[in-house]
Amino acid sequence: MSFLLPCPNCGPRDVNEFAYAGEVTQRPRAAPSQRELSAYVYFRRNVAGVQREWWYHRFGCELWFVAERDTRTNEVLGTELPPEKTPAATPVRSHEPTIPDAPVA
Amino acid sequence: MRLPHREGERIDRSRVVTFSFEGDRVEAFPGDTIGSALYAAGRRVFSRSFKYHRPRGLLCCSGACPNCMMAVDRRPNVRVCVEPVREGARVRAQNVLGSLDRDFLSVVDKVGGPFTPVGFYYRTMIRPRRLWPYYERFLRNVAGLGRLDQHARRSRRFDTEHRRAEVLVVGGGRAGVDAARAAARDGLQVVLVDEREVTPIEGVEVLTPARAIGVYEGGLVPVDAGDVLYRFRAERIVIAAGAIEQPLIFPGNDLVGVMLPEGVRRLVRDFSVKPGEAAMVVSADAAGLEVGEDLRAAGVEVAETIDLRDRQPRELFAHGRRGRVRSVVVDGRETVCDLLVMSGGRQPAYSLLAQAGARVEYDSSRGILVPRELPAGVEAVGTVAGELEPAAVPAESYGGDGRCFLCICEDVTEKDVKRAIAEGFDSIELAKRYTTVTMGPCQGRLCHVPSIRLFAREHETDAGSIGTTTARPPWAPVSLGVLAGRGHEPAKRTSIHHRHKELGATMMWTGMWRRPHSYGDPEGEARHVHEALGLIDVSTLGKLLVAGPDAAAFLEMLYPNRFADLKVGRIRYGVLQTDAGRIMDDGTIGRIGEDHFYVTTTSTGADTVIEWFEWWNAVWRMDVEIVNLTGALCAVNAAGPRARELLGRLTDVDVSNEGIRYLDAKEAHVAGVPCLILRIGFVGELGYELHFPSPYGEYLWDTLLERGADLDIRPFGLEPQRILRLEKMHILVGQDTDSESNVLAAGMPWIAKLDKDDFVGKWALEQVGERGFREQLVGFEMANGTVPLEGGQIVVDGRPGGRVTSARLSPHLGRTIGMAWVPPALAEEDTEIRIKVDGRLEPARIRLKPFFDPDGERLRS
Amino acid sequence: MSDLGFLSPDRARAGVGFEPWFASPLARALAGQTAVRDLSGLGKIEVRGDVEAIDVDAEVVRITPRRALVLCDYERRADLVERLPGMAIDMTGALAGLELVGERATRRLTDLDLEALPAAGKVAEVPAIVLRDGDSFRIFFPQEYGHYLAEVVVDAAEGFR
Repeated sequence: MSFLLPCPNCGPRDVNEFAYAGEVTQRPRAAPSQRELSAYVYFRRNVAGVQREWWYHRFGCELWFVAERDTRTNEVLGTELPPEKTPAATPVRSHEPTIPDAPVA
Repeated sequence: MRLPHREGERIDRSRVVTFSFEGDRVEAFPGDTIGSALYAAGRRVFSRSFKYHRPRGLLCCSGACPNCMMAVDRRPNVRVCVEPVREGARVRAQNVLGSLDRDFLSVVDKVGGPFTPVGFYYRTMIRPRRLWPYYERFLRNVAGLGRLDQHARRSRRFDTEHRRAEVLVVGGGRAGVDAARAAARDGLQVVLVDEREVTPIEGVEVLTPARAIGVYEGGLVPVDAGDVLYRFRAERIVIAAGAIEQPLIFPGNDLVGVMLPEGVRRLVRDFSVKPGEAAMVVSADAAGLEVGEDLRAAGVEVAETIDLRDRQPRELFAHGRRGRVRSVVVDGRETVCDLLVMSGGRQPAYSLLAQAGARVEYDSSRGILVPRELPAGVEAVGTVAGELEPAAVPAESYGGDGRCFLCICEDVTEKDVKRAIAEGFDSIELAKRYTTVTMGPCQGRLCHVPSIRLFAREHETDAGSIGTTTARPPWAPVSLGVLAGRGHEPAKRTSIHHRHKELGATMMWTGMWRRPHSYGDPEGEARHVHEALGLIDVSTLGKLLVAGPDAAAFLEMLYPNRFADLKVGRIRYGVLQTDAGRIMDDGTIGRIGEDHFYVTTTSTGADTVIEWFEWWNAVWRMDVEIVNLTGALCAVNAAGPRARELLGRLTDVDVSNEGIRYLDAKEAHVAGVPCLILRIGFVGELGYELHFPSPYGEYLWDTLLERGADLDIRPFGLEPQRILRLEKMHILVGQDTDSESNVLAAGMPWIAKLDKDDFVGKWALEQVGERGFREQLVGFEMANGTVPLEGGQIVVDGRPGGRVTSARLSPHLGRTIGMAWVPPALAEEDTEIRIKVDGRLEPARIRLKPFFDPDGERLRS
Repeated sequence: MSDLGFLSPDRARAGVGFEPWFASPLARALAGQTAVRDLSGLGKIEVRGDVEAIDVDAEVVRITPRRALVLCDYERRADLVERLPGMAIDMTGALAGLELVGERATRRLTDLDLEALPAAGKVAEVPAIVLRDGDSFRIFFPQEYGHYLAEVVVDAAEGFR
């Protein structure tokens, strides 16, 4: 595996500089049933096509970002950094992921 | 025979280079290859074929075929036709019993033929099965490609160098040079590589001799330059790899003296060597026919020339004597000759393009495979793109008696392929694997296209529908050494590392860390901590600063524990878990300020924990900073009843039991060094973990040992630490837990504050609580001194009852203790179990409380 | 509230019977050779906050818009930590540093684009920050890799002898 992943902060780098954390998922918003929890923890759509996924620039800027990559060709169509932090004054409701998930088919 | 000086020759006749072949002295010129020098000296047989031990001679002179492979200075499988001569080189034949000219194993060819068709070992050497090791040994000695000299010692340096190019041109022929020159004129940064010397090109960096071995994702082209592997990242890749002359398939096509036109060209033009006395030329294209000029210029009589574009003979075969060409018969007419130059046209060397993603198509009008639909950033120029003059399409084979060799590398004949197809191996990928065609040293350069044509004829279909086998790197042979390079394998060392070595510690690996296993006496070191005072280097611990207005809220969400109510200056033990409720890591969390927390992790878990923390914050976006202090600070643990006395000598602060209580975090100068003192008790005795700036590692270690000498301080390593923690039943994540373990089953229900609104893994734990768990982590004590192994099987009433995770003989307690996972029904104090040790069932009892100081009095003293 | 004093090597106090001294993790690996220079003693400060707002007389290496590494002489550290905006942490002991001369030798250690420095990337499989000054390269990296990386860098320089 040797494709170039364009880090939104550092630019294109060898993919081996990064750690991969898989598809972007949706954490359940309230106490889930066993089935919902299992789906969240274990199931992934595993698309053959464009996937939204998490990457971490381990050997570089150490930022997490989301990339849209075509899993068939390793072509990366775009990357997105998480938005800026919310100031302490407005406490975060911690179950809301700030990067919206792609709609589930 | 060496010809007189010719314009353009690559040899330097002013000097002489001497090497030996089979013990005999051979003279050559600088610029010669070992092959050209041997040929000039009269050698015609260069190798014996893989299976049949048929004599083989020079065929291509360009490193494409296997015919000239010899052992040079104990390196097997060297293609001497392209290997430059070197003073003092020792060259030997390989795969022969006897000599190249009289190989006793050629009996396989004369007698064994009918018994050794393709795949014969699947039929003739199957039974009796117990004899297979003997059959195998026999086969290995009788067939093969060179022998690795296990006693040879060789040391060579290989480096890997990263390079970038705006344009990388592979191939220094006319098309490649033109492309390079054009790109340079456009102001681009151009690099050109070729296997042979290329005249300098203005504005272009020329790297020779160097070979591109593959094309990978992201424009990565590794280039093998012998001692250096250049890892090129190229924006534009131009492949000018050329086209390879193809052999014709006819009986006698593997005789010594049958050559491809390039063989003649190089012998005559580069090395001024006369290739033969009387020659015949049979060619499907003009380039092959033109070699007649080279022959005549070298004084060779060209007895007959056949242009396959004019007419295709029905029959073509070469007669030989003792393996060497004597005459060639074409449709009944015999021509006496000692050299037959054959060409079935030229096949584009498309492999690099196919690796890059190009589609390969069979052009039936020309009988060649042509690359199409190149991906972005990849271009093909010259003959490799299919820019070839018109050529005849050779027949699949030219009839006649005798064996036609389709694959000279693996000794596969036309008949073998027909038989394979008849047996049902009807796809080219299957037939390839069964017959091994294209799997030899030439990797299909000389046999892929002819095999496709043969296939098509046998299937009565057109060659275009057969497909091709997948092209994979490396395109050419490459040594493992150049791929390995310098082998960068990082190792982490604490700043106290050298003191451990000086003290005679046995070092071991924990992940990437080098750590002392012990200083020679692990049991003694463990006992000493109970009796007096021990010192251990725990600098490998992960250390994180979690700071900011949301720091407490962040940790509350991440950990099952409660941290919001942790007072400044206090520490708590925490267990990190996944959203599936599985234990990931453990450590201590100390609150050193209202908005500042100091988190420790396991040594091997530090990087994972940081990534985990950073990821959750990428999702939650809280106002918190996470700083990795793992290397910034050293940490040592002074533990034992005399620990307080030692600390008191080195610091001004009140070190009494009230001054620094158990689970306090206090900042102070220790021996003049700024320190964070954590009073925790992993090893079960009064102890202080000192965290301080790592440049002071050796100083503070030395000072502690010096000032504690009269207190009988002794360093202790990882093994004694493991004994001590086991006495307290403190878990080691990854040792006593695995990827399925949760805090409830592991016996730590107080960790999980399920009344919190939410935390990572809360729901999973709730569901575990409802479902119950199948196994529980408990302690056990052996009735005798045997020590079970990790993973040891627990047996109750003849049925499996769990497994051992840790076990040690505790010198202080005088018995063997351990921890294990058992079904909840067995998890009662004093339950009798048996553990399998060395095949015997040894008795033991379950224990639920720590073996040593169960109430933690020593810790809090 | 902690001012994180326990992180700063320069807070050490001599006298009262103690003379603290500090050692570089590269010292043994670099002993006796001249091709590679030890920069571990340089002051290094990690800044978290608005990097654009940094206005000090020192070398500032921007890693992200909210994170920077400030390099300075050892003696100036304490002063700079006070004056830098946001959160400033003394990482002098956390990072080791070395200086190597030669672009080709450097290209045998990293695949970073040497025309696009300074940058944070991978050097011999270790995370590092690389700066360039003509033909000389400075590499800062976690000190626990000190001995390993010093050996690797000296070895790379050897490859050109």
